[in-house]
Amino acid sequence: MKLLTKSSLLIATLSLFLFFIMGIIFFQVLKNMSMSDLNRELGDLKELVEDHIENYKANQIIALPGIDSLSIEHMELDENPGEVFGDTLMYDAKEDQYKTYRFIQFYSVKGDAGFQVKIYKSTTPTDQLVERVTLMMTLMVILFLAGIFILNRFIFASLWKDFFEAIEKLKQFETSKEPVILGEQDIEEFEELKQVLEVMTRRLAKDYKELKEYTDHTTHELQTPLAVIKSKTELLIQSENMGASEMKCLQAINTSVNQLSRLNSTLTLITRIENRQFTEKEEIKLTELLDRHLELLEEHIDLRGIKVEKSYQDEGMVLFMDQGLADLMIGNLLKNAIAHNIEGGNIILETRPGSLLIRNDGPPLGFDQEELFTRFVRDTKQTGNFGLGLSLVKKVCEHYNFLIKYSFDNQQHSFNLTLKD
Amino acid sequence: MQILIVEDEASLMESMVSYLELEGFRCEKAGDYHTAVCVLDKHDYMCMLIDLNLPGGDGLELVKLARENQTESGIIIISARDTIEQRVEGLEAGADDYLVKPFHLSELVARVHSVARRTRMKGGEVLSFGVISVLPEEHTCFVNQNQVELTRKELDMLMFLMANRNRVVTKESIADYLWGEYGGGYGSYDFVYTHLKNLRRKLQDAGCPDYVQNIYGIGYKFSLDKSP
Repeated sequence: MKLLTKSSLLIATLSLFLFFIMGIIFFQVLKNMSMSDLNRELGDLKELVEDHIENYKANQIIALPGIDSLSIEHMELDENPGEVFGDTLMYDAKEDQYKTYRFIQFYSVKGDAGFQVKIYKSTTPTDQLVERVTLMMTLMVILFLAGIFILNRFIFASLWKDFFEAIEKLKQFETSKEPVILGEQDIEEFEELKQVLEVMTRRLAKDYKELKEYTDHTTHELQTPLAVIKSKTELLIQSENMGASEMKCLQAINTSVNQLSRLNSTLTLITRIENRQFTEKEEIKLTELLDRHLELLEEHIDLRGIKVEKSYQDEGMVLFMDQGLADLMIGNLLKNAIAHNIEGGNIILETRPGSLLIRNDGPPLGFDQEELFTRFVRDTKQTGNFGLGLSLVKKVCEHYNFLIKYSFDNQQHSFNLTLKD
Repeated sequence: MQILIVEDEASLMESMVSYLELEGFRCEKAGDYHTAVCVLDKHDYMCMLIDLNLPGGDGLELVKLARENQTESGIIIISARDTIEQRVEGLEAGADDYLVKPFHLSELVARVHSVARRTRMKGGEVLSFGVISVLPEEHTCFVNQNQVELTRKELDMLMFLMANRNRVVTKESIADYLWGEYGGGYGSYDFVYTHLKNLRRKLQDAGCPDYVQNIYGIGYKFSLDKSP
């Protein structure tokens, strides 16, 4: 959820809740106030009626200014019950409906005659007033909320502008490896953020640079002595006075130094992938990539009499990755399928939407399949193969968030590469 | 046939000089940037081998300088830097080829020949060995004036052997030269043997004597003189 959406939602729910509670309280208070106003008015009327009570005839309803209805009854009571307020419904013939009235009931004695008096007053005008005021208030609240919403957007945009800029710059850091330096900040927290980011990315950039230099350096430092051994061996091989046993020794040295240099360059490559030094991305058509590698490996395939079966269900499948790493991944998977095949075996290539399946005939693994993608694992029957090819494949897959799975059934090894989105 | 070698590792320099001198080249040595700049104009070099990590200066700068000074020379970078970007950078600086350390000396010789052919002879050269003659530009091979049909790989292999005539070339160096990254990691170099066998058969069928000797299982020697 975006920050703006989240804050807008929070403001909306909180203020709605708040205004709902406030609205109820406001309505109740208004209602009570109008009720006590009515009661006071009825009290005033009571005095007016009491003053002139002897002028009225019993059981006669007289209209007086301010009084909607009045009833007076003769009644002899021993005790004055005091005044009582109440609400009642009365039928209004003019409008053909019942209406609510507020009344005051009291007992009055004039001379020796006792009267029970009820003065009625319609609540319709005050109810209407309360209704209108409430409606007005609701409207105001809605307008207010809308205003807050719009204001929030503007305030949000201007307040968080630098923050979003910082995010953009941080995103670029992945590729540029340049320290993130933000402009002058007038908000204290952002100023802190700016400083922290600057220190952090400076250190990251420095680490990255040093690591890169270190890898570069190590490669150089290792490759040079290897180059020396390699060249000296080759010179020795040219020597005229070497016997069979010396040549055997030289061959062993030659084979080992070649393995060692291959190992060194592969390890360097793994380190480079782990250091995320491959950030170039381009669209690569998988079927074209496969076909190109099959062509390059044609001799090895023919030599072992291997048959390649292609079933491209998804012709247009595209990988979005570094060209070199794509070559590395596909090349190593195919090389693996050839190297661990049997004479005259099969390789089956299948592309389906979002996945690639490479199957090859071959004897079962001589070790736990969990270890297949880890470094330095190899089949004991194979020599000279350091088994680094598959760990390279795994590293490339991890780098691009692809999923690679291995399974063995029916005397066939199968590698399933899935592109996750 | 002068070759300039710029390399700071004395031992490696030594090996390259020995091997190239066996091939009949004369070598000028430079161990650092400044020495290299000094001897840059000394001869009209056929080829210059330049290391990129040099004391006293950047090898790439040297490549640019060498390219300006000696437009007719071939330049091969020999470096431990092996990323695609670094290779492109090297070739853009003016190098004709890029060889990653550690390399086979036989591969170096083959590349020196190939670069020299491209820059000096403008390709119009005939390579010959005994009764074999090869036109590298046209990708054709003749035995006693009769054309022999060879695949691209077989022709490349023949030219590699011819460049390293009278030397023992290892199976690994043939695999690396012809197949590059696709050459290793199979546990055996049988495919080299198979290809060489085909090449020998085709040449012999055309009436060529077998110039290839198997040397103790370590590699092969291509020479007119069959006695080891």
